[in-house]
Amino acid sequence: MSFEWPWQYNFPPFFTLQPNVDTRQKQLAAWCSLVLSYFRHRKLYTVDVLEAQESPVFNNKKIERKLSVEAIQVVFEELRKKGNLEWMDKNKTRCLIMWRRPEEWGKLIYQWVSKNGMVNSVFTLYELSNGDDTENEEFHGLEDWMLLRSLQALQTEGKAEIITMDDGKGVKFF
Amino acid sequence: MHRRGVGAGAIAKKKLAEVPPPLFELLNKTFKTHLEEFASKHKQEIRKSSQFRVQFQEMCATIGVDPLASGKGFWSEMLGVGDFYYELGVQIIEVCLALKHRNGGLITLDELHQRVLKGRGKFAQDVSQDDLVRAIKKLKAMGNGFGMIPVGGSYLVQSVPAELNMDHTVVLQLAEDHLLKEGLAWLDSQAAGEPQYWLPALFSELSSRDVTPEEANQMTP
Repeated sequence: MSFEWPWQYNFPPFFTLQPNVDTRQKQLAAWCSLVLSYFRHRKLYTVDVLEAQESPVFNNKKIERKLSVEAIQVVFEELRKKGNLEWMDKNKTRCLIMWRRPEEWGKLIYQWVSKNGMVNSVFTLYELSNGDDTENEEFHGLEDWMLLRSLQALQTEGKAEIITMDDGKGVKFF
Repeated sequence: MHRRGVGAGAIAKKKLAEVPPPLFELLNKTFKTHLEEFASKHKQEIRKSSQFRVQFQEMCATIGVDPLASGKGFWSEMLGVGDFYYELGVQIIEVCLALKHRNGGLITLDELHQRVLKGRGKFAQDVSQDDLVRAIKKLKAMGNGFGMIPVGGSYLVQSVPAELNMDHTVVLQLAEDHLLKEGLAWLDSQAAGEPQYWLPALFSELSSRDVTPEEANQMTP
């Protein structure tokens, strides 16, 4: 299914960081929303800031407009403040886009586990993210780092325990 | 005296000013009488035909008379011309208020014209864009918060709250600062040539999508 761009995406000034404070607020809110839904749609989790400029979301070739690197940084800072983004390095060249937060993923995973009566079973991380049983679940294909975070969130809630096994990590659900 | 053209009214006024008072009185009375006759003879046409109104206005301007100078006055009472523009002014205010939540208080003269005509119905009098411009000028003079911004060959009509200082509203090309400041315009710095200013109110894709009031409010203050 192709992505449905919001009308702002075809509005040329949307790609210029607005000088008016109130206007900029509206603009940034719309950008945050667009980035999160685009990344969610494409199931992308990480972004390299320098490569981002060429991504369709920040570069609309049809109207010949793209966000500057500076503007992309501003949008990312907004996302970070909202808890949807984390920098992977000190120099802020690469980041994680969390269109769904670890707690939310954890909830989905636990729902699946309990629905299938598999509480008290042990899973490897691989089984959860790439097993045949989870093929139709939203968390199928979830990247390792995010899966781990989600399980850590569940662990904090007392609903799971992360185990270290011979060939990797696993998890037990309660 | 009946020559039309730039400055004819001013010249006429000057000539009148040089005339000795008693004669001046007589001339004034004569003009008035003639115009009175003319007006009552053509009252119907004045109300019915916009072209006639334009010509009548030009004629008045030539001899330095503004039939709309005072709401209640000899001219407007005599001709009903004042009533016509007063009623039109009310209609204009109604259209602008009705659309304000969608366009943020900015409307093209074209669209305003279309909607006013629609509102008047099939059997109502003909209304031209010239009529609208005059009516808006009247509204502006009465301090109703209206302004007209020249754009391209036409105008944008701006209905603003009374609190905004109307002195800041100037020609669109020079008003970019103001529009930006008020959050009515967005800056596009990637346009070829100079920076451009866009008005969400006029963005065709936006208006063609039948935007809900909530969506429009998202983009304008």
